[in-house]
Amino acid sequence: MAKSVLVVDDSASVRQVVGIALKSAGYDVIEASDGKDALGKLNGQKVHLIISDVNMPNMDGITFVKEVKKLASYKFTPIIMLTTESQESKKLEGQAAGAKAWVVKPFQPAQMLAAVSKLILP
Amino acid sequence: MSINLDQAQQTFIVEAREQLQAMEESLLQLESDPGDDDAIGAIFRAAHTIKGSAGLFGLEPIVSFTHIVEDVLDRLRNGSVEVDAGLIAVLLKSSDHMLELINVVANQGAKLAPPALAREMELCQILQEYQTPSPVQAPKAAEASDPQAPAETRLWHIVLRFGPEVFRNGMDPLSFLRYLQTLGEIIHITTLTDAMPSAETWDAESCYLGFDIEFSSAAGHGAINEVFDFVREDCQIQIVAIDDPVPPMNTGLVATFQEQDDPNTAMVTTGQLMPDQRSAARMPAQVTPDKQPATSDGKAKDGAYVRVNADKLDELINLVGELVIASAGASLLARHCNDDSLQESTSTVSGLVEEILDGALRLRMIPIGETFNRFRRVVRDVSQELGKDIDLIISGAETELDKTVVEKIGDPLMHLLRNAMDHGIETAEARLAAGKPAKGHLHLNAYHDSGSIVLEIADDGAGLNRDRILEKAQERGLVAPGASPSDQEIYNLIFEPGFSTAQAVTNLSGRGVGMDVVKRNITLLRGTVDLDSQPGQGTVVRIRLPLTLAIINGFLVGIGQSTYVIPLDMVQECIELSEDDGVCSREQGYLDLRGEVLPLVYLRDHFNHEGPASRRQNVVVVRYAELKAGLVVDDLLGEFQTVIKPLGKLFGALRGISGSTILGSGAVALILDVPALLTQIAQTDNRYTTPPLQQATVR
Repeated sequence: MAKSVLVVDDSASVRQVVGIALKSAGYDVIEASDGKDALGKLNGQKVHLIISDVNMPNMDGITFVKEVKKLASYKFTPIIMLTTESQESKKLEGQAAGAKAWVVKPFQPAQMLAAVSKLILP
Repeated sequence: MSINLDQAQQTFIVEAREQLQAMEESLLQLESDPGDDDAIGAIFRAAHTIKGSAGLFGLEPIVSFTHIVEDVLDRLRNGSVEVDAGLIAVLLKSSDHMLELINVVANQGAKLAPPALAREMELCQILQEYQTPSPVQAPKAAEASDPQAPAETRLWHIVLRFGPEVFRNGMDPLSFLRYLQTLGEIIHITTLTDAMPSAETWDAESCYLGFDIEFSSAAGHGAINEVFDFVREDCQIQIVAIDDPVPPMNTGLVATFQEQDDPNTAMVTTGQLMPDQRSAARMPAQVTPDKQPATSDGKAKDGAYVRVNADKLDELINLVGELVIASAGASLLARHCNDDSLQESTSTVSGLVEEILDGALRLRMIPIGETFNRFRRVVRDVSQELGKDIDLIISGAETELDKTVVEKIGDPLMHLLRNAMDHGIETAEARLAAGKPAKGHLHLNAYHDSGSIVLEIADDGAGLNRDRILEKAQERGLVAPGASPSDQEIYNLIFEPGFSTAQAVTNLSGRGVGMDVVKRNITLLRGTVDLDSQPGQGTVVRIRLPLTLAIINGFLVGIGQSTYVIPLDMVQECIELSEDDGVCSREQGYLDLRGEVLPLVYLRDHFNHEGPASRRQNVVVVRYAELKAGLVVDDLLGEFQTVIKPLGKLFGALRGISGSTILGSGAVALILDVPALLTQIAQTDNRYTTPPLQQATVR
């Protein structure tokens, strides 16, 4: 049973790159375009890992992480924040909200895979 | 690992173009309302997204330029730079330049042309003025921590003590250990359970475990340390190189761990980073939580979308078209069979097919707003160029029409807008002199009207010079010398080929943009264009377009053995033409419809059908735009979902027929071009035009 990863980013190309990388390693990938969309997609579904961007329309990544942490079913779901170098404060804010892992954009697909496999196995 | 990202790169190109479009819109929004924080947020996000994604594909030129733009935008966002006209101008130019950079990528590796490079330098210089005094260097390479490569395998001693919070943070200690194994081999592992509390105080969600690991790896200290990046915050980690491979494996282990404060000579503690990180990590907790949560994007982008290739949609619609024909055939057969249950089931199928058809057609419908918004920039640039102050007002942006139509209407609209700005709207001085506000207004509007969509471009300029147009038209023989056409007919003359290119005929001409080209483009879309003008008040150009190009709701009529389709949206009513009335109205060429004069077109004569007319004829009253007429036919056959098949080139000269369709029986029916028919009536009525009625012959 492949583990599923929820990828939240408003950029379709980022979702696609992450998706290609993760699928090649045997993960299932669910995509969402912003925090609100992602919360809708979660909806009780089993998700083993969440990867979320910070800057998104409708609901940003930090708010999204806070919302996820309120949901009993996803209390223990690891969350990776996608940050950029200019967003050190956002990274810390994300950690305070409960997203302890991060990957700095721009990343190579291999870097993303490494981060994911530290947290879960395919 | 090599992963093929070509397809994703295509997505990036499409997405980046969309982002730039959005960025431009927000910039214009910001220009009109400099305090709009939402707009600033949207602009920043667009640049940020483009930069982030470009980095994934290693598109360095885009990343480095966008980085500068993003930096300025960030300063704009946190208020250290003020919005001013100069900044908006340079940002608009920057977004143009980014589009250029993206186009270079789209064109596969072609280099940026030298003039564009020069432009980039110039832009960077201007942007720098808005940047921080100590400009941020270009982004560092993604990872700079690779210079070490101690190929030799060493033995490491790792002591891990996970904090109680790890589970709650979504971290699984085991997965870190598994990942560690990708770097080397775990020779020995001991689980440290000394922190485990007694059963009463034990919390299932907390982690009390520690591990003592002996690890053999070629990786350096940094690489091993990196494995635990995500848990460093609430864990105690020690990574020590054991150069002397003598394992002191016993009770001493725990003791060593507990004595970690001791400056143990052999140990290299990794905890050095911890103090800063910890204190830093706490700071944001005091920071006010997110001032502007997710700015709404202006338009409702809440719904989830699936991006589908347009070709696939076309294919689907074609198939649905065939399905409609096939199901009509089945219904026809069922009726012949006189089998009730069969008829019932085919009618259910027809109903469903119709719904599928509607659904499929709706898939192709997109709002015109995006096209309209594109013009904001055009209006801004052109009005600056011309030194006029012009405001663009957009309404009806949510009106939907077929994607193909939307794509093809952009250019004609652009021509019309430029003309209106260039020649319609006067200079501020002239406007003030005429007692009008100095600011000119352009109004783009869209709405639905009896089965078609109407696009209106209105300006409040000087209007058309009626006498000059008439004079010119008579000179060119477009209007018979004695005729007295209506104002509207005169204005519409400027759509005649070769008319507007003449020098300074009207205030709408010039620029070599032939209005006939505009008209031709619109005609190709089965649309029409007409124009209305009030001297001194302005001009309105109205474009009428069909909602869809593929399928229409038709009304079937019969003449002799032939069947014709009239677009149902244009049919207003049907009346019977009694024999007595028939004779009378045939002589007059019109009918008294409840006191209204209704010109009649005898389709039997129009299409030269042979044989006597049936005794009882019917009149179908049709309306298009402001024109109304009655089409005299033999039989009324009812409604029919009509899949439009274009006529071949051979029939290009036919007037009054816009296409054909296939009936359920397999017979061909011609689709009447009602607008053309009505225009012909209008022309013959006024008799000022020279071209004689061309009559099509159909057998």
